[in-house]
Amino acid sequence: MKKLHQRLRPWLVKHLALPSDVVMELPRMTIIGQLHVYIENHKGLSVFTDNELRLKTTKGYIQIKGSSFVLKMMLPEEILLEGKITEVKFIPR
Amino acid sequence: MKQIQGSYIKGYVRIKVTGHMPELFFQECTDRGVTVWNIKRDGKKTCSGNVKLADISEIKKLRRETKYKISFTQRRGYPFLFHRFLRRKEFVLSLVMSIIMILFMSNIIWKVEVTGELPIEIEEKISKQLNEYGVHPGAWLFTIESPGVIQQKLTNDIPELLWVGVRQKGTTYQLEGVEKIVIKEEKVEGPRNLIATKKGVIKRMYVSKGLPKVEVNDYVKPGQVLVSGVLNEVQDTQVNDDKENKKEKKKSVLVPAEGEIIASTWYEVDVTIPLKQNYELLTGQQEKKYYLGIKDFKFPIWGFKSPEYEAVHHDTLETPIKFIKWNLPLRIIETTLSEKQFHEIDRTKEQAIQAGIKQAKEELQLQLGSEATIVSEKVLHETIENGKVKLELYITVEENIVEAQPITQGD
Repeated sequence: MKKLHQRLRPWLVKHLALPSDVVMELPRMTIIGQLHVYIENHKGLSVFTDNELRLKTTKGYIQIKGSSFVLKMMLPEEILLEGKITEVKFIPR
Repeated sequence: MKQIQGSYIKGYVRIKVTGHMPELFFQECTDRGVTVWNIKRDGKKTCSGNVKLADISEIKKLRRETKYKISFTQRRGYPFLFHRFLRRKEFVLSLVMSIIMILFMSNIIWKVEVTGELPIEIEEKISKQLNEYGVHPGAWLFTIESPGVIQQKLTNDIPELLWVGVRQKGTTYQLEGVEKIVIKEEKVEGPRNLIATKKGVIKRMYVSKGLPKVEVNDYVKPGQVLVSGVLNEVQDTQVNDDKENKKEKKKSVLVPAEGEIIASTWYEVDVTIPLKQNYELLTGQQEKKYYLGIKDFKFPIWGFKSPEYEAVHHDTLETPIKFIKWNLPLRIIETTLSEKQFHEIDRTKEQAIQAGIKQAKEELQLQLGSEATIVSEKVLHETIENGKVKLELYITVEENIVEAQPITQGD
């Protein structure tokens, strides 16, 4: 049953043109140049230092690297990061 | 970003978190709905971020549940500014003083203006009278009476004034006066007769001009000619009507008749007097109390003791306190407590009759004016009903019954 459910979601996205981040519970990231990263729909913060931000998602982690990081705003499931971004990496579980 | 908007007004705090993985403390915060912003990693074991002032209690609760050490590093925003301001005593004191000053000044008369085209003497008289009432620049607004009362007093005390309008406009008193120009009572000009207004028996006559048509002890009816203004009408003893005379003799001289004819007239008056009567009398003992009134609440300022009177008559006067031009919801209430006594009169029938006669006489005198004199009174009929005495009185009065009537010349 669960499998069917999981297989249904990509199908919905593909054929009914529903927004993928909502249907599949994936993070939506908005990156503005090297300046800002805006991440919605994440599942929590795991590491935050001056040059690294690691966020939990449903399927692993998102790792953002750079320098002089400041979390401009932190809300449940929403994060605005400011700094000099050099790298965005997805780490599967 | 709207979550952190207006945080300066409500105030916010920068907190420093120390411990292993300090960023997780902020994660914990957001999970509980506390918005955190400007989070920065300070060192390996420290992290700092901004939190709203309203969320401090939640942070403190969290601190107890976790192992992190939390210190507040910066306090920003209006509440802290305000707090700092309150700590400067001189500043607060001067602010309070200046408000009191403005309050004080708004409740003082600054100017008394007299307008209207009045001669200088009257204007001086007005300002002198006003001084006597306590209306002068520098007087407290709530020690003086209301404009209406002053208006009445002024018109009573200065007979030269026909009318005076007193208006309080903020801290100035504006007076507008109209001078009384004494105009003599309009009399019937030209030739006239004097006729009777009431029926009566003539007692005394004094005719200065004109020809008397009646004599002492004559009974006259209303409208009857008493003194004729037509002279040398008929030299004979025949008495004819004026008009006929004019037709017969055109030479007759017309004069304005003048004179006073006192006749005794009579009135029947009904009065009812109760045998039992209650009334209150003030003994003259009184005490004053002052209150500061806020809406329905009264705060005593002066006069805390209640007088030991058995019965008290309350008389209150309220004056609002002003701030610049607005009335504050504060009032100064002056209450006068006067001692009163209840009196009960039990009258015998005789006493009731006497009181009834006296009352009837007073009422009649008031009706007829001061020139009339009451000569005698007689009780025609008396009955006692439901504890009341009913009287029918017959009162004889001597009064002037003359009224002028112009003679129309018939052309």
